[in-house]
Amino acid sequence: MKYICQVCGYVYDEEAEGIPFSELPDDWACPMCRAPKNLFEAEEESDDGSAAIAEGPESFEKIPAGVLSAIFSNLARGAEKQYRSDEAGLFRKLSASFSAKAEGTESIEDASTLNSDFLERKLKAVRNAAKNASDRGALRAVTWAEKVARIVGSIIERYMKEGEDLLRYSDVWVCSICGFVYIGPEPTGICPVCKVPGWKFERIEGGDA
Amino acid sequence: MKRIAVRNLRLCTKDCLCLYVCPTGATDTEDSIIDASRCIGCGSCADACPSSAISMVVAEYPPQQRKDKDVCDAVLDAADCRSRLEAMAKKIAAETEEDGLRRLMKAIAMSSRLSSEDLLREGGYMLPQSSVSQDLIHSLIADPPEGFPTAEARELLRRIPCNDREGKKEESYRCSVCFSEFTLDDGEEAACPMCHAPKEKLERL
Ligand code: SF4
Ligand code: SF4
Ligand SMILES: [Fe+2]
Repeated sequence: MKYICQVCGYVYDEEAEGIPFSELPDDWACPMCRAPKNLFEAEEESDDGSAAIAEGPESFEKIPAGVLSAIFSNLARGAEKQYRSDEAGLFRKLSASFSAKAEGTESIEDASTLNSDFLERKLKAVRNAAKNASDRGALRAVTWAEKVARIVGSIIERYMKEGEDLLRYSDVWVCSICGFVYIGPEPTGICPVCKVPGWKFERIEGGDA
Repeated sequence: MKRIAVRNLRLCTKDCLCLYVCPTGATDTEDSIIDASRCIGCGSCADACPSSAISMVVAEYPPQQRKDKDVCDAVLDAADCRSRLEAMAKKIAAETEEDGLRRLMKAIAMSSRLSSEDLLREGGYMLPQSSVSQDLIHSLIADPPEGFPTAEARELLRRIPCNDREGKKEESYRCSVCFSEFTLDDGEEAACPMCHAPKEKLERL
């Protein structure tokens, strides 16, 4: 049987390795991207999540502030790509005028729940719609977002278990293209999700929030 | 398709071959930004540059790929979920005393924003020129939420014309009589909306 890393696609072939996947230690991690064991899936297994459906806003008035902020920061990137830096600046101003409100007290457990909801319901709905429309670009975006959310979920889980020890002597890096989060020394290879070179990763500094 | 040359200032090593080959002098500017109004799109500079610092880009972007409505709706819903995680992570980062948790939450906030942006691009918001983007800006100007920078939004609409509205295309004009600047839809009776000067007095921008 083969087991596939749901983040970077690394294949663990039991036959070639000689050790059954289930017998690998719990702290075994993907040799390519360090994703934990539970992010591997047996090859055949696939879940199309066909029950999930989209429930989206009908008109512009219903777009939440946090989404408007992301729409405009994205259009700022679009303008930047077209060498329109003044327009990019204007879009960033529009983006900054909106922000999602975090309701009430938030804990790391809430973040974990919200991340799972994104993975299990929201992204599956996009995947289904994209499949029906044969929209390859949207399917690609879903795949990236899925991999990134999986790694985010597994890091949150590790933090809940290990606490500050997880990060005391390690840097936290984010791929500036796809959002892949990585804990460890400066990345040297390519991003396991979107394949950009390591220098596209940004190191996250502590200090002020 | 009409193309124009743009120079990437981070790659340019000032070897200046582009100066020698440009037939119109468009590459010879003090601020190193190629003069788009002079560039005829011949591509000589891009071919000659030893540092691959010049790209030929389309002058007018073609309409973006059409997107299925169900895809767009699902994308908005997913982006909403991610933006809530972003807000939550920012809040935890701001409130915690722990350095590790703060860095982790900042990373998750950044990551969430990147995923939202990528999904939204595939949900219809690829090009600033698209009618989807432009209609959104129009609707926000018409009914601005608190703190919305209406002047900047108008400026964006003036600078970036819509590229996929059928039959209609906006053009920017300046009136040589009263100097007001405005846009007119293609086919609209051309006259200055401020001082009613006739068509001949209008200058296309
Ligand atoms: S030829 Fe290339 S490197 Fe030389 S000045 Fe022009 S853009 Fe810069
Ligand atoms: S494309 Fe031709 S006209 Fe335009 S800047 Fe380059 S050499 Fe000059
Ligand atoms: Fe990446």
